[in-house]
Amino acid sequence: MRKILSLILAVSLLLGIGSAMAAGSPTEIIFWHSMGGVNGEAIAKMVEDFNAAYEGKIKVTVEYQGSYDDAINKIKAAGMSALPCDVVQVYDIGSRFMIDSGWALPMQEMIDAEGYDVTQIEPNIAAYYTIEGKLYSMPFNSSTPLLYYNKTAFEEAGLNPDVAPKNFDEIIEMAEKLTKKDADGKVTRYGFGMGNYGWFFEQWMGKMGLHYVDNNNGRGAEPATKVVFDETGGAEEIFKVWKRLIDEGIITYLGRGNNDAKAAFISENIAITLESTAALKSLLVNVGDNFEIGTGYFPNIHPDDVGGVSIGGGSLWMLASGNDEKQKASWEFVKYMISPDVQAFWNAQTGYFPITVATHELDAFKDNMAQYPQFGTAIDQLHSTAPQYAGALLSVFPEARALVETYTERLINGELDIAATVENLAREINSAIEIYNLTN
Amino acid sequence: MSLTDSLKTPTAKPRTRIKKGFYATIEPYLFLLPAFTIFALFLFYPFGRTIYLSTYLTDKLGNAKVFWGLRNYTDLFSSSSFWASVGVTFQFVAIVAFGGLIVGLTTSLLTTRKYPGVTFASASYAMPVAIASAAASMAFRMILHPTNGLLNILLGTQVNWTGDPKWALFSVSMVTIWLASGINFIFISAGLRGVPDELYESASIDGAGYWRKLVSITLPSISPTLFFQIIINIISAFQSFSQIRLLTQGGPGDATNVIVYAIYRDAFFNFRFGTAAARSIILFVIVLIITLIQFSFEKRSVHY
Repeated sequence: MRKILSLILAVSLLLGIGSAMAAGSPTEIIFWHSMGGVNGEAIAKMVEDFNAAYEGKIKVTVEYQGSYDDAINKIKAAGMSALPCDVVQVYDIGSRFMIDSGWALPMQEMIDAEGYDVTQIEPNIAAYYTIEGKLYSMPFNSSTPLLYYNKTAFEEAGLNPDVAPKNFDEIIEMAEKLTKKDADGKVTRYGFGMGNYGWFFEQWMGKMGLHYVDNNNGRGAEPATKVVFDETGGAEEIFKVWKRLIDEGIITYLGRGNNDAKAAFISENIAITLESTAALKSLLVNVGDNFEIGTGYFPNIHPDDVGGVSIGGGSLWMLASGNDEKQKASWEFVKYMISPDVQAFWNAQTGYFPITVATHELDAFKDNMAQYPQFGTAIDQLHSTAPQYAGALLSVFPEARALVETYTERLINGELDIAATVENLAREINSAIEIYNLTN
Repeated sequence: MSLTDSLKTPTAKPRTRIKKGFYATIEPYLFLLPAFTIFALFLFYPFGRTIYLSTYLTDKLGNAKVFWGLRNYTDLFSSSSFWASVGVTFQFVAIVAFGGLIVGLTTSLLTTRKYPGVTFASASYAMPVAIASAAASMAFRMILHPTNGLLNILLGTQVNWTGDPKWALFSVSMVTIWLASGINFIFISAGLRGVPDELYESASIDGAGYWRKLVSITLPSISPTLFFQIIINIISAFQSFSQIRLLTQGGPGDATNVIVYAIYRDAFFNFRFGTAAARSIILFVIVLIITLIQFSFEKRSVHY
């Protein structure tokens, strides 16, 4: 009796397993991202749609990991024992680290295996993530810096509201007209204001057509060994602008990063500012009907600069789990995230570029452009940049960027003069690069 | 037979005695074991590991890679940025520790008597205890905003509270004092309730006024509380992190770059655990020295 019972149990167990396999339990993958607020909600919606479309085959679990810094630090911490996820969104300046880590599965391998048509990807965006002819990660949320200005204030000051300043000479000239003071001589509106953001420094190097580091701007076979902005005089030119803006009282210091400058622009305390294209939507929403926002190209340092802007933002990295099934599922997911329809939705929700060229043909995208013509400036700026200004790659970029911000503060506080600022900044970043190369 | 018996018996007795003695010896250690295990895991091992790491350069994962001897320390000692950070830390700790104590003492003295609304006042003075420092810092970030912050509007000034090196440390300290004022208020209030009324009564009979009573009765009576509270303030000031992270990120320049923030930058941003470990050890030595000084001071001026 007992024998029969156990036999029945064993058979039913086998049958159970068999039927579960026949139904095909979905391949589960984990996706880490760093998009908060409105952008995070958009991601959640996109993943939900993906799971619905691939029901029974692939199931993506989406996990918000805090800021870009937090996400990459968690990968570093977890990477010592096991990879914590299958697909992860990493910021632009984490690229070199991801390549060096050896944890990433280069996107190019999946592209080659499938014969995927890479020309679908916006070339200037793909250029940033292509190293030695290999696309390492899939561009996903790409942005460039942009100049934003208050058209209403321009009219009030007797300036042409349809002409944005193109370089700092023009900005300073316009800012003087835009500055408003009250009876006590207190400034109630500055003509110009910008955050102390290391990203801008990198962009201006590209704008001047100069490299940030050696070894083909960190894109060569060997990683960068030192900065070159001290030798080419690029840093000096940028710091001269900062010094002039502060010394002549054209701007007030608005802290590191972008948040305070953005708040000041929204509340009409500054009339011209610099921000990412990804801020367009939130600026439009926050400003509402208070004033009209105009956009222009990210300003040149000198009137005759010939370089261009490089993209920032993040990309999707596949981690080499060694599990073929999961890697295939991850690739399907990545392809879905950059498909034209999804990118049109993403662009409309956030202001990031649609990274797939075909998106431009979609009605959803055209409607959005008609509604927010300011976004056209961002697209034009991106297209007018040659891929050779793709921007530097550097393993210690997060640290270098923070050092740029610290030294900008030392300069404008009068602790150091321009020459000493450049010299000390270069020395500190070089020592960080040296130690990194020594230990990794 | 008898021979073997007689041989066995004498040896059997001491054996049991040895056994008993052995258990008696290890018994207390068994009781200590749970606590010791926890200490070893979370205190001794990390401490040893920190010392070890401070003599190495680490790779991007934080593994010790290149033996660096004392160079992490000598590099720090020869860096002007490190000394700036030590100086800033001492200023910050002094302002916060005494500021928090004074605010806590004032608010608790204000609520010792019964008057309408005293409960509400007490609740609001204790409130900062219940507010997370990160949330408060975000609120203060808006209050201190250079162009559209509430504080500048109220004062009619145009001060760059967090962006001007002259004001940044002051601003961060004020936010920290406010955050610490709640716990100071609660402990000092509790201390004040413990002062016997007879002392005040007899002082009143002797003709002592309010200030006289405050200086000669209240303060000496609550000196253990004040001493305890100042130690707590100093330790928590050394550990302050989120308000600096959110308000100034150590800037402008190094104006608010306290040691703990510098450790965080080195370890979790630059991924140079070696330097971070060396900074931690230096911070440990500083706190150790301060604690020793405090306890020698306690013997002289705290009355239990």
